[in-house]
Amino acid sequence: MTEQNVASMSASGSKGAPSSPAAALNFFHARRWSWGSVFGGLALWEFISRVIVGSKLFLAAPTQVLYALYDLARTGEIWKHVWISALEFCLGYFIACFLGVALGFVMATFKSGKQALQPWVSGLYATPTVALAPLFILWFGIGIVSKVMVVALLVLFPVAINTEAGLRNTSPNLVETVRSFGATRRQIFFKVALPSALPFIFAGLKLGIGRGLIGVVVAELFGARAGLGQLISQSAETFNMPNLFAGVTVLAVAGIAMTSGFARLEQKLLPWRE
Amino acid sequence: MNAASPKLAVKELTKRFGDLEVLKAISVDVQHGEFVSIVGPSGCGKTTFLRIIGGLETAASGQALLDGKVIDGPGPDRGFVFQSDNLLPWRDVLSNAEIGPEINDKLGDAQRGKTMKLLELVGLKGFEHYFPRQLSGGMRQRVNLARALAVDPALMLMDEPFSALDAQTREIMQTELMRIWEAGRKTVLFVTHQIDEAVFLSDRIFVFARRPGRITEIINVDLPRPRPLSIKRTPEFAAYVDRIWTLIENDVRVSVLEEHTG
Repeated sequence: MTEQNVASMSASGSKGAPSSPAAALNFFHARRWSWGSVFGGLALWEFISRVIVGSKLFLAAPTQVLYALYDLARTGEIWKHVWISALEFCLGYFIACFLGVALGFVMATFKSGKQALQPWVSGLYATPTVALAPLFILWFGIGIVSKVMVVALLVLFPVAINTEAGLRNTSPNLVETVRSFGATRRQIFFKVALPSALPFIFAGLKLGIGRGLIGVVVAELFGARAGLGQLISQSAETFNMPNLFAGVTVLAVAGIAMTSGFARLEQKLLPWRE
Repeated sequence: MNAASPKLAVKELTKRFGDLEVLKAISVDVQHGEFVSIVGPSGCGKTTFLRIIGGLETAASGQALLDGKVIDGPGPDRGFVFQSDNLLPWRDVLSNAEIGPEINDKLGDAQRGKTMKLLELVGLKGFEHYFPRQLSGGMRQRVNLARALAVDPALMLMDEPFSALDAQTREIMQTELMRIWEAGRKTVLFVTHQIDEAVFLSDRIFVFARRPGRITEIINVDLPRPRPLSIKRTPEFAAYVDRIWTLIENDVRVSVLEEHTG
């Protein structure tokens, strides 16, 4: 196959699922270094764990993790954990989104609000608040409430800070333009400030995904009845490395899926951007 | 001068920024359907003057009346065309053009028809659903113009709308503006640095001087309309440009020197 052929075919088949064997071949060919790197890494991992370490108690091989995943799915145990963790994440995340946007709005709009809130927001954003997770467990118990609180606390600040920055970054020229037509303060907010802040708010929400996932897992590590973090800590205690890695794998996939899904959502909601 | 009451009547308008007197007791009338340009050196307050008429700034004393009503803020009876196009990047051409009616709760089928006609008039038919970033500078200024026209203002206020365009595009936009203006004959106040632009477009030209900002001369441009671009090469045209340049030359020299010495 000539270079030109490869280029034209990979261009046509680069997005979405490959539809024919030739297209599938190209799908891999166009990203051959990525695929090579991933499979090379996995092979190296497999080799180290089976030949050099040689004990499932210390390091599970990728194939063993895969089998553990299959087993957990077959018995249905994994779904229980996924469901609980997802619930905690979603509740905390959405609470933080609403509160964060509101907080950012208050800070961007009222000088007094900014002065009063800024020290707390900056301070708590810089603090590794996830370290407070044990305290939340102590206060709110080992149920989902404590985890929701930890997630909300972690996601809240990047959203608030980005919302404020976005609203503050509104071009005064654009504000003046709508003002020249007699726009009210309310109209200026909804027609100019808010839409122009949306890319910033989205960036904050995207940051929040990673932080929220960390919050769920860490909070569950400190005490929970179920959840992926609980699966991980329980597996660690029983030296069940395949199950431990299975839990981590599910989290990794969830993180990747949510971040890329978010990027697509962003493209759909903000099509006017480059 | 004119028996009919003026479209815009400016009376003893004064503006200060701190101790600096930006505009000093400006009194002048603009008649209905007139195209008036304002020229002058940097810092003569011509843009400030326009912004006060637009209601975007307030005068220290004096007043401006539009159709006999005192101007005390912005409103849809004036269409402001800004120097930079100021299009909302998240809105397509059509909804950018309709933001004025939208703000004043005048959206509807009738308005949509009018807006579409306006977009066609400014040469943007077929581009209704493009985003600003997909348009050239000249096209964006056309949207800027259509947006101001969409509120069907009694007075158009244009603040150096072509200054950011390259020389050729600017000439084309001047003829385009003339064509559009001929179609509706709105009253226009047009601020510019370009003397030839002012002569080409205007019925009358207010020549401003600086420190304090004031009108030193009002020039009637008696060139036949419609004016082709080639009119710029006639001796009559050159005589107008020459006369205005002589009027502001000294001021410009001083302002250039000031800019360089800080």
